[in-house]
Amino acid sequence: MNADTTTFTGTLSRSTSLPLVGQARLSKTCGLTEADDLLLVKLKKGDEGAFDQLVDRHHGALIRMALGYVADREVAEEVVQDTWMAVVEGLNRFEGRSSLRTWIFGIMIHKAKDRGVREKRHTTFSAFESYDDDNDETIDPSRFQQSGEWAGHWAFPPQPWDDRTPEKLLASQQAVDAMNQAIEALPANLKEVLILRDVEGVEAKEACEILKITESNLYVRLHRARERVRRAVENYLQGPALTV
Amino acid sequence: MALNSADPSAPDITCREVAEWTSAYLDAHQDDAHKVRMALHLAACAGCEAYVNQIASVRDTLGRLPGPILDPARRDRLRQQFSVQRSKPWSTP
Repeated sequence: MNADTTTFTGTLSRSTSLPLVGQARLSKTCGLTEADDLLLVKLKKGDEGAFDQLVDRHHGALIRMALGYVADREVAEEVVQDTWMAVVEGLNRFEGRSSLRTWIFGIMIHKAKDRGVREKRHTTFSAFESYDDDNDETIDPSRFQQSGEWAGHWAFPPQPWDDRTPEKLLASQQAVDAMNQAIEALPANLKEVLILRDVEGVEAKEACEILKITESNLYVRLHRARERVRRAVENYLQGPALTV
Repeated sequence: MALNSADPSAPDITCREVAEWTSAYLDAHQDDAHKVRMALHLAACAGCEAYVNQIASVRDTLGRLPGPILDPARRDRLRQQFSVQRSKPWSTP
């Protein structure tokens, strides 16, 4: 299918019965949940345990996302360190109009992109220029019948993974490595969505706020990213899918 | 293999469409009409059922992948910075 974003937004509309995930917001104008509010009070009081908790909660995802914008792990670590410093210094000024998480990730993205631009002038690093082409097919088109009565149906369907539940996948270092490699290889605009939504568990609405994209856009990108990781796991489990 | 649709006059959705819509379906980002068509197709198509299950597995595994950890030296520096910042007179609430 071409111009999937057009087809996608035309035919899908938001479910009216989305479950309330996480805690209720205090009010429409206040971005903080009750848990956030409590944490913020502790942080402002200088509670080191609370700060440790905050860092532990978000550090991994911040690093992974930063890697989408900058050249290497060392630079990503610096960017995230700068981010935490900015969080510490900005706590007094933080008004709670967004969640703590939205604020923290917003700071990181700003710093990472800034650093990425500066890096670009000195290196030939091109990964952060590789944005996913929206005209690319999400799923390898050769997996589907191209013509005839069954056009659009599987030509080479996925084989069930049977008992390859998350637990089993996580227990295999090779599967974990395959997934991590697939994530790292993602272009920035797909990586940022996958990290926020699936790795960090941010709700769709908040992810859209952080990234400044629409929900339709989010789901298109999210699915592209997930498909790439799925394909990497499939390759690891079965070898590359045979297409003639 | 004949597939039923919620609306007999509507063309059956293809496996390709099901695959494209999988994430929206899993995250409940679809209207009821689409959900029904997806569910009907999945009930009759082993390939698509496998695909949806795989995407769900990926999603669930991603949430539990061990991630980059903060090395102790950096953690100490941050803690120090935090203490210094919070002990400044103008920062007490």
